[in-house]
Amino acid sequence: MKPVLQVKNLVKRFGALTATNDISFDLHEGESLALIGPNGAGKTTIFSQIMGELRQSEGSIHLYDEEISHLKPAARIKRQVSRTYQVPRPFAELTVLENIRIGHMPNSIWSMLTQQPDLDYERELANKVGLAEADHQRTPAELSMGDLRKLEMARTMATDPKVMLLDEVFAGLTTAEVAQISDLILQMRADGMTFLVVSHDLPALKPLVDTAIAINQGQEIARGSFNQVLADPAVLSSYLGEV
Amino acid sequence: MKLIETKHLIAWAAFLLVLALMPMFVSNGTLRIFIFANFLAVFAISWDVLSGRTGYISFGHPFLIGIGVYATAIMSKRFGVPVEYSIPLAVLVTMLGSVLVFLPALRVKGSYFALVTLAFMELAYQLVQVIRPDLTGGTRGIFGIKTITRGAENGYYMSMCLMFGIAFVSWLVMRTQLGTALSALGMQEESVEGSGKSTTKLKLAAFLMSAFIAGLGGAFYAHYVGAIAPRTLFDINFLFTIIVAVLIGGSGTIIGPIIGAFFLTFLLEFLRPYLPGAGRYFIYGGIALLLYMYQPKGIYSIVDKLIKRWRGGAV
Ligand SMILES: Nc1ncnc2c1ncn2[C@@H]1O[C@H](COP(=O)(O)OP(=O)(O)OP(=O)(O)O)[C@@H](O)[C@H]1O
Ligand SMILES: [Mg+2]
Repeated sequence: MKPVLQVKNLVKRFGALTATNDISFDLHEGESLALIGPNGAGKTTIFSQIMGELRQSEGSIHLYDEEISHLKPAARIKRQVSRTYQVPRPFAELTVLENIRIGHMPNSIWSMLTQQPDLDYERELANKVGLAEADHQRTPAELSMGDLRKLEMARTMATDPKVMLLDEVFAGLTTAEVAQISDLILQMRADGMTFLVVSHDLPALKPLVDTAIAINQGQEIARGSFNQVLADPAVLSSYLGEV
Repeated sequence: MKLIETKHLIAWAAFLLVLALMPMFVSNGTLRIFIFANFLAVFAISWDVLSGRTGYISFGHPFLIGIGVYATAIMSKRFGVPVEYSIPLAVLVTMLGSVLVFLPALRVKGSYFALVTLAFMELAYQLVQVIRPDLTGGTRGIFGIKTITRGAENGYYMSMCLMFGIAFVSWLVMRTQLGTALSALGMQEESVEGSGKSTTKLKLAAFLMSAFIAGLGGAFYAHYVGAIAPRTLFDINFLFTIIVAVLIGGSGTIIGPIIGAFFLTFLLEFLRPYLPGAGRYFIYGGIALLLYMYQPKGIYSIVDKLIKRWRGGAV
């Protein structure tokens, strides 16, 4: 079977710093891959290159067998890959439902003008990520960090992706909220969603992924099953400097 | 969500009624002030549709309005084109001109963008003097442009219909998903992109809408006053009057720029006997500043709060 997402020999240089150093991986439909590594390892930078927010220095990115490197973010999202942001950047003066609406509305000016927003869909999605009915008309300033993460999930899901890149979706969440988001991810996996997940919360990550790639200073240092990678000496020592 | 709710329709109908009955209650002199207020409201809405929503602050609006003014004036005065054609054509030319202002918005943001657009206004002022002064009238401008109204009442109804029509249609547009997306662009451009929407297309749409309104307002204005001079048109005072009207009234709304335009026009008129000349502009600058410090969202939000409090008390 052809991979859904194929990253080949990806390199990203910021001046003298090589933030991504020859990273390659395939992601198959329904698969869930974790990208782990210490702070500054280059995880978010890989996401940004897949989404087209950063242009890679070298290497290729294929989505459904199509080279997408020349495409703008909006065009990639249209091809059904979408990401959450490590630091959620919601639309401050829009309500929760309107925030979701931005993700869900069509990308044609004419359709934006003529199509009514799908309120039922917006409510359903908000409920699905665990945003209470009372929060639907609130603005982001009135939400907790946990709720902001849920909103970020919902906004991303609203773009109708088949491949989701999740960047630190558990950061700042309570144990109960971690469980809630984990359930949601598991449910989406059961429905066939393909995931690339970045998280520092390794225990939370474990039940969600099939395989993992550990990176440090932009380079791959280990890959395999999640447990295998965690037990790898190189991975252990890369995390030693942390905490 | 319905696009139009009954309570909104009632509010708009009441507004229209007040505007329509105005000539019965005020003198012709006051009516003439209202005419200028109507035009300023049109320009303020035009500015707000672009800058108030998307956050791209335009200092170039006199440039856009000027294109509309000059285009119709030249067509009608120099080539005898009937106004039924010259006005729509002028609007079209203004929209084309706005693409020039749009291009820098693809690269620069914030104050840099504002400064680039300011350059357009100054450039236009210089250009009308050197390029084909036989058409533009050079520094002296163009006189004897065909007027389309006669008398204060006639002029008032023309300007009022124009203003009301533009306000209502803009309000409708801003209530659609496009309006939501444009506001979102002003709050977090990156997240709009990250939500799969082309920010380039959205920005272009905002520029074209803003230019449509500016061109329409400018063209009708030319055929109302019948004379134009480049120094009063491509003028920093004119620019600031538009922006202050929006800020005083409340940006990001339709009614805000209208309130601001009316308030400002009458304020300037009231101050005229006491402070002739440019001194008046200091006063309104001061008022704008005070209001901005006290209530950055403008008069509209003060009124809105009062109404809500009054309603809350009544229930
Ligand atoms: N736009 C940029 N310009 C210059 N350097 C950058 C840029 N973006 C990231 N970097 C650098 O690239 C490296 C990798 O950053 P990245 O954010 O991808 O790490 P990360 O693995 O996501 O870290 P964290 O776990 O803290 O989120 C860091 O050294 C960072 O400082
Ligand atoms: Mg990161």
